[in-house]
Amino acid sequence: MAVIAGRPNRGALLPPRFSAVTESRAGSLAIFVTRRALWMIPVVFFVILITFFLMHLAPGSPWDRGGGRQLSQVVVNNLNIKYGLNKPEYQQFLLYLWNVGHFDFGLSYQYEGKTVTSLIGEGFPYTATLGVLAFLIIVPVGVGLGVLAALRQNTRTDYITMGFATVAASFPNFVVGALMVVVFSVLMAKWTQHAFFLPAADFGIDDHLIMPVITLSLLPIAYTARITRASTLDTIRQDYIRTAWAKGLSERMIVVRHVLKNSLMPVVTTLGPTFAFLVTGSLIVETVFNIPGIGRAFVTAVESRDYPMILGTTILLALVVAIANLIVDILYVFIDPRVRLT
Amino acid sequence: MALAERIDQAVDWDVPEEQIGLWQDAWHRFRRNRLAVLGTVLVIFLVLVAFLSPLLVHFHVIVDPLNQDVSNVEVGSGQGGHPLGTDELGRDTLSRLMYGSRISLSVGVLVQGIVLPIGLAIGLTAGYVGGRIDNLLMRFTDVWYAFPDLIFVLVLVSVFGPSLLSIFGAIALVNWVNLARLVRGQVLSIKEKEFIEAARASGSPPIKLIVKHLLPNSLGPIIVTLTFGIPQAIFLEAVLSFLGVGIQPPTPTWGQMVFDGYEAIYANPTSVVFPALAIGFTLLAFSFIGDGLRDALDPRMRR
Amino acid sequence: MQLSTRSRSIAFACSGLFVVAACGGNSSAPSANLAPPAQQILRVNTVVEPNSYDPTQETYAYEGSVGHETFEALLKPKADLSDVQAAAAKSYDVSSDGLTYTFHLQPNAKWSDGKPVTASDWVYGYQHFLNPALAAGYVDPFFDGTIAGAANYGSVDVSSASAIDSYLSGLGLSAPDATTFVIKLAHPAAYFKWVVTLWVAVPIRKDVVESAAGGTFPSTDTTKPEVWANNAKTIVGNGPFKISEIVSKDHVTMVPNNTYWGGAPKIQQLIYYFIADGNTAFSKYQTGALDIINTPVADVTVVRGDATLAKQAHLYPELTTFWMTFNTQKAPLDNADVRMAFAKSIDRNALVNDIEHGTDKAIQSFIPNGMSGYDTSDNAQAFDPTAAKALLAKAGVTASTLNKFKLLTRNSTGNKTLNQFIVNQWNTNLGLNMQLDVIDSKTVTSRIRKGNFDIYGPDGWGADYPDQQDFFDIFTSTACHNLNWGCPTLAGYDALVQKADTELNQTQRNADYLRAQKMLIDQAAVGFMYQQYEYDLIAPYANVTRTAFDDEYTPGDQNYQSAYITAH
Repeated sequence: MAVIAGRPNRGALLPPRFSAVTESRAGSLAIFVTRRALWMIPVVFFVILITFFLMHLAPGSPWDRGGGRQLSQVVVNNLNIKYGLNKPEYQQFLLYLWNVGHFDFGLSYQYEGKTVTSLIGEGFPYTATLGVLAFLIIVPVGVGLGVLAALRQNTRTDYITMGFATVAASFPNFVVGALMVVVFSVLMAKWTQHAFFLPAADFGIDDHLIMPVITLSLLPIAYTARITRASTLDTIRQDYIRTAWAKGLSERMIVVRHVLKNSLMPVVTTLGPTFAFLVTGSLIVETVFNIPGIGRAFVTAVESRDYPMILGTTILLALVVAIANLIVDILYVFIDPRVRLT
Repeated sequence: MALAERIDQAVDWDVPEEQIGLWQDAWHRFRRNRLAVLGTVLVIFLVLVAFLSPLLVHFHVIVDPLNQDVSNVEVGSGQGGHPLGTDELGRDTLSRLMYGSRISLSVGVLVQGIVLPIGLAIGLTAGYVGGRIDNLLMRFTDVWYAFPDLIFVLVLVSVFGPSLLSIFGAIALVNWVNLARLVRGQVLSIKEKEFIEAARASGSPPIKLIVKHLLPNSLGPIIVTLTFGIPQAIFLEAVLSFLGVGIQPPTPTWGQMVFDGYEAIYANPTSVVFPALAIGFTLLAFSFIGDGLRDALDPRMRR
Repeated sequence: MQLSTRSRSIAFACSGLFVVAACGGNSSAPSANLAPPAQQILRVNTVVEPNSYDPTQETYAYEGSVGHETFEALLKPKADLSDVQAAAAKSYDVSSDGLTYTFHLQPNAKWSDGKPVTASDWVYGYQHFLNPALAAGYVDPFFDGTIAGAANYGSVDVSSASAIDSYLSGLGLSAPDATTFVIKLAHPAAYFKWVVTLWVAVPIRKDVVESAAGGTFPSTDTTKPEVWANNAKTIVGNGPFKISEIVSKDHVTMVPNNTYWGGAPKIQQLIYYFIADGNTAFSKYQTGALDIINTPVADVTVVRGDATLAKQAHLYPELTTFWMTFNTQKAPLDNADVRMAFAKSIDRNALVNDIEHGTDKAIQSFIPNGMSGYDTSDNAQAFDPTAAKALLAKAGVTASTLNKFKLLTRNSTGNKTLNQFIVNQWNTNLGLNMQLDVIDSKTVTSRIRKGNFDIYGPDGWGADYPDQQDFFDIFTSTACHNLNWGCPTLAGYDALVQKADTELNQTQRNADYLRAQKMLIDQAAVGFMYQQYEYDLIAPYANVTRTAFDDEYTPGDQNYQSAYITAH
């Protein structure tokens, strides 16, 4: 939530300095964050509302099996009673809301006797580790490549970096992941007679991390690089850059002091949701590399109509996205001083 | 140094002899951009392939993509009379690629045609108007990010039945949020520049402001998002077909070919690599066109 | 009939389809090159995680993969499937009227915490399993026509503890002394000896359950009775292995139960991984990170073409048959000639050899190869496009009527491939233009349960135990919308199967079931297609004994008790 700055603009020769701008912001920042935190409540409420009713509209019940022998009607009836599915929908909804208020997210249908909270709690560390690592790679590499390509527009550097980015983006990541496993695990094991090769799957705080993190990062790097390049190109053409150049500043100075900060707006906008989706996991990477995280949780929950699990993972995603967007909006202020919070 | 060249080009020191219109100027610049031209040629080639493939089958230049040559299942390139090999049912990969272009191109491009106005409208409104509306719209996008699109699609199909329209709708509905937030960010940062204030002071109505000034200055990231959305839409179609929305097998689409070929990555890697390359070339082509368009339409580069 | 079946099974066993040299083969004595205990680790990909570690709540054979090792049922099948043999029960007697089964438990049977297994543990286990409030998935064979007093399982009021308690105490289960467990039946059932081999029928320790639940609880409680099953430390079983570690969605590790009556297994760590992606499992196997996997169909040619891998691959039959189901409520699919036309226009050999790469075998009958009742003499459904077209003409059905039918398909790659082939066969051989309807799996199930489909496949049945009753009950009229979806009406079928189910004379039973099979084939109740085999990769140093039938998700041995690793 940002409005017009009150400070008069001193012309476009130089952008206003960073430190002078933030002094008056500290207090309003706290208010801003509190207000957005409160806004998360209606957001989560609407997410639960929509998900709940959509989910019950979807055909197929949790007790319909994928294939082969089906559960008899007698057992299905008892199961419905056991999990409260025989009550009218609005009652189930209100009951669910009441429980959520007490931080009780219910029992999973797929995994007997396990709570949604424990399932998500078990899986989240794996997913988050991969997501954070990937993010730490995406930001410097993506932004760096993008700026480089923009400064060297239409030269070989530009073509190579953007070509790589394009290729990385057009191969779906499960194909890239699988190809990497074929080459770096299986083939390499053959070529080096099992002396050195990367592990084919599973999670571990060692070389197990290499391939999954790379697979996770490729598309976001490509997209970030492209956006950064486009935005940097837009910035370079601004008058004040021309002025700085005319004043005799070195390219490096111009880039670091002016170009970077002012091109970051769209980059930060996309990095927010990127971070959210990275941290809540990728179904594909977790399936290909057999990581027991929560990335698969949502899709398998939908496939098995595990209602409490669907709701649990959706709420988690909503919260993470809301927080990420909040951070993005705060970063807007620091990047572009003309933008102010209310 | 690169910056120096950029700036040199940006300022035209020669006085033009005659004024030419924005669009003509843009077209000239576009034509001069070699990569953009290459991209256009590629796209035209793909469109031609899409249109001509039934004819090619009719005149036996390529095999019928539906024909199951079961004695030649999962063969590699060049074997059994199949230039690019076959898939798990013995169907010729080359002809399936050519036929696949029909669906995949339409899905990829048309979906962006739906995403663009929605994302633009919401992003522009949120960024320009600000205040309460901005807050509401952005909280709405927060909810939408967490939206359970898989379930939504399942319900959509059970209500409307699988059809091409369901696919377009489903994919577009999932994709507009990024564009909206991007546009809003751009608007926020451009909004306070002097020339906007000047234009507003001179009494321009907001719409004119938006279209003539805000939009052209924020084109870059918008075009990138749209071009990246094309392969995304192609894959989403494959994921959706898994759920029973839209294109049913055996009609070939690139996305489904990649999904199905993935299982045979050890036995026949080409069955997954070729469709992925096809998608890659499409993305490349549209990226070049996108870059060319942005350069061509950049008002600062007017001569 | 009995003898010939048995000798056929043994001949079958010795033809190289079993790894162990039970047929006087040439394997060296195990102790000669046994790997040291630190290397006795067996890693198996079981693909799917069980929904629960309480065996009574595991509904499917693949979910029972862990339960099979950590618990033990009263009896187990013999290696050649001709009969049952001792397991947790040393022996059993059946009364002459066939209604009372007395099981004499193994005298030195112990739980994994050292306490002796008593008959009252068995009673508690069966009651825990049959408690309607807990809604265990696979109760049907136990209350439907078998255990005395169990028949009204479905009408017990699960909100009333007293109703549940009186139901449970009214069941025909008793423990006259610590080593004798008696089950009374409501009707004679020759197949009941197989029912007690199921992984769900195990003893449970009442004190363990209650201590994990924090005390006693009413029978209506649905969460407390399962708390013990969620923590490796509180899972106490009577099987050869015990669980040492559970990493949800990733793997479960089992170690030997040193107090197991049959002697502790040689394998010191049995690890089951739950890897769903075929490429991932295959990669792990090739890098030596997995010892036993089920080869994905797409990689079969790769395995066969590789000299090393081909030696490690083994083709095993599964007692599973697949067919295409026709909705007989939709004319003209109610006409047996029309159904037969469809059945006769599928080239099964092309299907199993070219599409499935020989990992399945064509079949035109119901009972699969490997269990008694397997009989291929009736080939009414053999591939014959000319005859098929003639049948359509005879029925007076035109292409346009049939073209509006769609083949309902689940959205997995395997099913899509198979059905595209099948529909192509029908279109080519019968001159039709039918389409597929590919939909997500749950929706498909909900539609077939309601009869909202035209043709559906691949539909099939895998034996839960190798008795024909398990198969033939599927097509009775009461099983419509429950076990079969097409609801074919076959005159005299119900009575025939009912008679065979309760018949005690084995020869007579086999003859009756054979007549029932003939009805199914000749009237094309469904279109039989193939029997599922499984092509497993087993590391050369892993020595496993193989039981002859298995679920596709649990490759290799279901009894790793006797498995061992040779030094390598």
